[in-house]
Amino acid sequence: MEHPLSAISDHGSAPGIPRVLLGAERVTVDYPGVRALDGVSIDFRAGEIHAIVGENGAGKSTLMKVLCGALRPTAGSLRRDGRPTVFNKPADAMRAGIAMVHQELHLVPTLDVAENVCLGREPTRLFAVAVDRVRQRARARELLTMLGSDLDLSRAAGTLSIADAQFVEIAKCLASNARVLIFDEPTAVLGEREAARLLALLRRLRDEGRAILFISHHLDEIVEVADRVSVLRDGKLVQTFARSLDGLLCDAAGVGVNESRIATAMVGRELGSIYPAKGSALSTEPMLELVGFGARGRSRAISLAVMPGEIVGIAGLVGSGRTETAEAIIGLRPREGSVRVAGREVAFANPRAAMLAGVAYVSEDRKGRGLHTSLSSIINMTLPSLDTHARLAGLRIDSAGERAVTARWIGEFAIRCARPALPISSLSGGNQQKFALARWLETAPKVLIIDEPTRGVDVGAKGEIYRIIAQLASKGLACVVVSSDLPELIGLAHRVAVMREGRMVGELSREKLAAKDCEERIVRLASGLSEVTQEGAAA
Amino acid sequence: MNATHGSHSVQRFLEKWGVVVAFVLLFAASFWKQGFDFLNAENFRAMLNSNSAVGILAVGMTLVIVSGGIDLSVGSIVVLAAALGTTTMNALIGAEYSELNAVLIGGGVTVLGGLAAGCINGSLIVFGRIAPFIATLGGLAAFRSIALAIAEAGEIRSQSSSYFAVLGRGGIPLAFESANAGETPVYSGLLNSAGKPLTLTYSILIFIAIAIMAQWLLSASRFGRHLVAVGANETAARYAGIAVGWVRLRAYAIMGLLAGLTGLMQSSRMNSVSTSGLGVSNELDAIAAVVIGGTSLRGGFGRVWGTVIGVLILGMITNILTISGVSPYWQGAVKGAVIVLAVLVQRGSRE
Repeated sequence: MEHPLSAISDHGSAPGIPRVLLGAERVTVDYPGVRALDGVSIDFRAGEIHAIVGENGAGKSTLMKVLCGALRPTAGSLRRDGRPTVFNKPADAMRAGIAMVHQELHLVPTLDVAENVCLGREPTRLFAVAVDRVRQRARARELLTMLGSDLDLSRAAGTLSIADAQFVEIAKCLASNARVLIFDEPTAVLGEREAARLLALLRRLRDEGRAILFISHHLDEIVEVADRVSVLRDGKLVQTFARSLDGLLCDAAGVGVNESRIATAMVGRELGSIYPAKGSALSTEPMLELVGFGARGRSRAISLAVMPGEIVGIAGLVGSGRTETAEAIIGLRPREGSVRVAGREVAFANPRAAMLAGVAYVSEDRKGRGLHTSLSSIINMTLPSLDTHARLAGLRIDSAGERAVTARWIGEFAIRCARPALPISSLSGGNQQKFALARWLETAPKVLIIDEPTRGVDVGAKGEIYRIIAQLASKGLACVVVSSDLPELIGLAHRVAVMREGRMVGELSREKLAAKDCEERIVRLASGLSEVTQEGAAA
Repeated sequence: MNATHGSHSVQRFLEKWGVVVAFVLLFAASFWKQGFDFLNAENFRAMLNSNSAVGILAVGMTLVIVSGGIDLSVGSIVVLAAALGTTTMNALIGAEYSELNAVLIGGGVTVLGGLAAGCINGSLIVFGRIAPFIATLGGLAAFRSIALAIAEAGEIRSQSSSYFAVLGRGGIPLAFESANAGETPVYSGLLNSAGKPLTLTYSILIFIAIAIMAQWLLSASRFGRHLVAVGANETAARYAGIAVGWVRLRAYAIMGLLAGLTGLMQSSRMNSVSTSGLGVSNELDAIAAVVIGGTSLRGGFGRVWGTVIGVLILGMITNILTISGVSPYWQGAVKGAVIVLAVLVQRGSRE
């Protein structure tokens, strides 16, 4: 049964060189009119975390699809344990021990944790008729313990936090004895602390001899955990960095690389600082003012003033009530306390009322709430400002006007969108995000609340989005930026307020943000460690 | 998402134009079966006329389904509205009102009764937060039950001797008298088998007008855009500042109004209302036409012209089966197969 080749790679290799579990050879994928992958050869070895980086559209997702059997390459081949292999469908790849942890989790919300872990592989009794619930729970417990999680097995998956759900998803992959685990931006939806826990888990899975494929837009994470980094650009594998014996990530010449070096390889040119210069408030009269405000049951006693021209950041762990507070402001949730816009007390009943008063909110959940993924870019672009295109009391929409507005924003934000009449889901995340922002700017807001402005967005587009936000602020817009990405908040915001468990627990002034320890200060505030007394203990 | 682009594009084509292909095939089959008899204007008019009522319901149903909902109560609204209107009219005639006034008021009650029923459906769904399927399932049972109670499960005969039947039976003649050779007039234009002028009935004209208006509403108006947005993703629509509840409420209200209008046309055509027979299973025929026409039952995408072709397809199937002498008991099986086939062809390449 064993192929001679695999025997060689298994036993004949030098002890330092790990076994190749999965390899792709000169894989090319053509879509109509586009070459998404161009002769990529890459391998994934046991006991190694292999990070794949690249801008949106560089071919990462296509490569993942090929590796997990969702897509047949136009040319090239795959090797599993040294043997040529063909995956016709995802089930083939799964049977070969390759599992993908998707960005969107695929748990059944009404089933409990144990049932989800064993889904499709339920241990049975009574001649395979009944599910053996005792063994099912034991198996789930065993796998979760291995992952270092002590989740309650009887909880319905729908009630889990995203971080916990991710663990269940990973346990599900392990239940299928996966040897190669593919993680597609696993930390994008996690807060700082959960992300650290996940990275530790990746290391542990690696140390058990699995091959880990890791995709992330967070280059700091990659520098931290990856043993090898492959850079894709325009469908080609342009560079590979590997960790040297002394633990440094190096290029082929043995020169150490850092995040900016990887970013440079990704975009193929030098990147300056991606953060624009900070402006300052244009007035001392607040444009948005919260007094003792809160989203009922989720946050309270929040007081915050944002002046025209100011960018105020909101930091905090996932679940600290940031998003809920923002949603309460625009009338999506029950609220308490008061909101003033340009000095006037307001109580918005719904987002439409907020929009008419000049307050816009860009949701963190681009796919589920921020955009209609099945509808065209034009429809998405003009939906909040549709009234301006309505003629004959709304009986006719001026479609020429709609196209013109869409074209104008495509130009303004350098959105890569060749055919705006196609569904917006055909665009990359960065370009979708630009539309999500542009559609609200078209309503000419005075206050803009942006939740996770660059989630799932590549480095190049990130810089452009920051530039746009800074430019809008300089023209007098009051901006609130909610983000889990601390470097982003520190680089972009004039001030940063920190939330924890529904409360505002501190604020970092512009001076404090310029200090070296500001990131640590924010983390401490957000996680409830006191700033002064534990300083020594933590060291 | 596989290597065979050929079959892929065939599927794409069928997804979009399958309903037209089916229509053409069925047309050809009818022609093959009946020859020029099928192309006979009278035959055509009969088919259109008998399907215009369900057609109007199907057009309204398209809007509801695009909004992500469903209305199972339309057949019951038809009979309730007709029963209310005809009863009112008869009472007014009995109370010595002029017949014309009685007919006008009765007709108004029918249409507005339908609108009111639609508003009840919409309110239950929007304010009561009841799933459309359940809320209108309630309406399906309740509205007919009220109609049955009004007439004690019997028939309500119209007391109007002339005006009331005009809407249902009248129309625009498609032939005019060109010469009068003694006793028998000579016509030029389209004639029926009895040699009299063929009329394009008001029912057909109303169906066509409503279909055109609804297609416009769906594809070119702000309300239509909002319907699509709500149906495609209600949460995203709310976040985009759309008054989601108001949009959905209006969809059911329009549906109710059209059901009331259908009730008026049907009661006028029969000059009576059979409370146990009128509108029965109309909701299923309407939904079938919408589905055949390519509108997504999941909401967020729809086309009225497809629904109109769907109505014609269902009508032609009945027509061809009846003419071929197939037992009416078997016709349901054929229709059912066509509906399932339509969904199979159009379900798209979901990943």
